[in-house]
Amino acid sequence: MLELDHVTVRFGGLTAVQDVSLRMGSDQVVGLVGPNGAGKTTLFNVISGLVRPASGSRVLFDGRDITRLPLHRRARLGLGRSFQIPQPMHELTVRENLIVAQRFGAGRVDPQKIDRILELMELGEQAERDAANGLALQELKRLEVAKALATEPKLLLLDEVLAGLETLAKRAFMAKLRELHETLGLGILIIEHDIETISSLCHRVAVLDFGQLIADGTPGEVFSNPDVIRSYTGAESAETQHA
Amino acid sequence: MRRSAYLFLAVCYVVVPLAFGGNNYLMGLVVSSLIVAGVAVAWALLGNLGGMVSFGHAAFFGVGAYASALLSMKLGVPVLLAIPLAGLIAVLFSVAMLPALRLSGPYFALAILAYAQIFRILATEMEFLTHGSGGISQIPVLPTIAGFDLSSRTGQFLLLLTLLAAFLATYDLIRRSHYGIALRAMHDSEDATRVVGVNSVLLKSWMLFVSAFMTGVIGAVNAHVINFLEPDYAFSGGWSVLPIVAAIFGGYRTVTGPAIGAVVIYLVDQLVFKALVSTGHQIILGSVLALMILFAPDGLLPLLRNALRRMRGGSHA
Repeated sequence: MLELDHVTVRFGGLTAVQDVSLRMGSDQVVGLVGPNGAGKTTLFNVISGLVRPASGSRVLFDGRDITRLPLHRRARLGLGRSFQIPQPMHELTVRENLIVAQRFGAGRVDPQKIDRILELMELGEQAERDAANGLALQELKRLEVAKALATEPKLLLLDEVLAGLETLAKRAFMAKLRELHETLGLGILIIEHDIETISSLCHRVAVLDFGQLIADGTPGEVFSNPDVIRSYTGAESAETQHA
Repeated sequence: MRRSAYLFLAVCYVVVPLAFGGNNYLMGLVVSSLIVAGVAVAWALLGNLGGMVSFGHAAFFGVGAYASALLSMKLGVPVLLAIPLAGLIAVLFSVAMLPALRLSGPYFALAILAYAQIFRILATEMEFLTHGSGGISQIPVLPTIAGFDLSSRTGQFLLLLTLLAAFLATYDLIRRSHYGIALRAMHDSEDATRVVGVNSVLLKSWMLFVSAFMTGVIGAVNAHVINFLEPDYAFSGGWSVLPIVAAIFGGYRTVTGPAIGAVVIYLVDQLVFKALVSTGHQIILGSVLALMILFAPDGLLPLLRNALRRMRGGSHA
C-alpha cells in the first residue's frame, strides 16, 4: 500500500531524513517511533505532500508514484492524516470541518456518514461548536481523526494523537483506532512515544534516529534491539551491559 | 443574503427612479455610487472568500472598460454583448496574475498592485489600439431596449442595480456553497484544508476569475456611461482604493456591507463633505474611515444590525 523508497529530506545543510525505505500494507498498524527530532513528522510531511524529498527519493501509494503529487491529490487517493498540533479549520464548526473534508477528500457529501463519524469519534454534542475555539484538547485530537476519516482514506497517518491524553482517555482512543482498523480495514501509520501503547496497538514498529531507520520489525523484536534501546531510551540493554 | 436585502433592492428599483429620476445630477451620483459598489462587492469577494487583499482592481476595471469600448467601436459588437465579453477579457488578463496567488498577505497585495501599473502603462503605450494618453472618445452609449433608453440616468441606474443584485446573489451563493465553506476555512488553516483534499490554488483562482469578471463588467458599463476613456482614468488607483474603503466602511465580512458602504460613502462624500469643504473633502472621508476602523472595525452593516438588535431587546424589556 505505502512504500517509501530511499527517502531523503534536506533543509539547507541539515539532513532531517536520510535514505529511509519502508513498506506497509493496508492490513497493518505500524508505529513510527524515535527520539524528538528523529525525523518522524518530517517523514509524515513527505508522505502527505507537505515536504518535497530530495531527488532520488520515491513515495509510492497503491503502486502509484506520488512523490510529486500535490497535497490535495494525495488526500483524494486515500491518504488521511492528523497533525501533531491539532489544526482544525478555523471559522468552521466541527460538522463543517467534516463536510469540507468529505466533500473535497471523498468527492461527495453524505450527511448520514458524517453523523456516524461524529458518533464514532464522540463529537456529536460538539458538532455545532466552533472547532477552533470551542473544543478541549481531547476533542481536538478526535476531530483530527474524524476529519481524516471523512476523506474516506485507505491509510491513516496519525501524528501523536494519543499524546497528552490521560490513561483512560488514551485506552479509549486506542480501542477506537483498533476498531477503525478492524472494521474499516484501514491501514494506520502512527507516531507515538509511549512504548506500551505502541506495543499493544501495532503489528510492526519502525524506529528512526537522527533521520535514519535503525530498526523495523515486530514490537517484541524492535524494543529488545540494543540499538533501539540505546537511541530511544538512552540506556544500555541488559545484554549490552553484561557484555 | 437575507430576505430583507432582496426586499430593499426591490424597493430601490421603484423608489429611487420615482424620487430622484427628475434630478439628473442626483441620479448621476447614484449611478456613480453603484459603479463603486459593483467594484467593492467584487473586491470583497476576493478578499473575504479568497483571502486575498487586492490593491489592483483598477487593472480589471480598466481592461473591462477598454475591451468593451474597443469591441463596440472597432468590431461593431453590440454594447450589451460587449459588456459581458469585456468581463471575460478581464478574466483572461487575470490569468497573468495567477502566479501571484502563491503569494500571501502583503506580497500578494504588492504583486497585484504592480500588475495594475503594468496594464496602465500598456494602455498608454499601445497607441495603435487605445489611442494612448489621448484616450478614446465617443464610446457608444448604452442602447435602447424595447423602447426603454438604458443610456438615460434611470436606465443606467436600473442596469447597474440589476448587475449589483446579480453580483450579490452570486457572492452569496458561492459563500453558502461547499466551496465557500472551504474558502473560509483556508484563511487561517490552509494546510489543514489542503490535507483533506481542498485544491486551494484552484479555489483561489476561481475567486480571482469571478472577481475580475465582475470588475471588468462594471468597468465596461462605466465606459458606456461616460463615453470617454484614457489610461490614467481607466486604470486610476482610485478604482483600487475607493472599493476597499467602501468595503471596509460597510463591513467587508458581510455580503451586502461593501455595496451599502460604497453607496453611503460616495453619496455622503459628494453631497455632504464636498458641500462643507469643496477642495480636499476627502480628508473628512479619511477621518470618518479612521474612526470607523477604530470604533467599529466590523463596518457599518454589523454596527447597524447590532444597534437594531439592542433596540429590539430594549423594546421587549
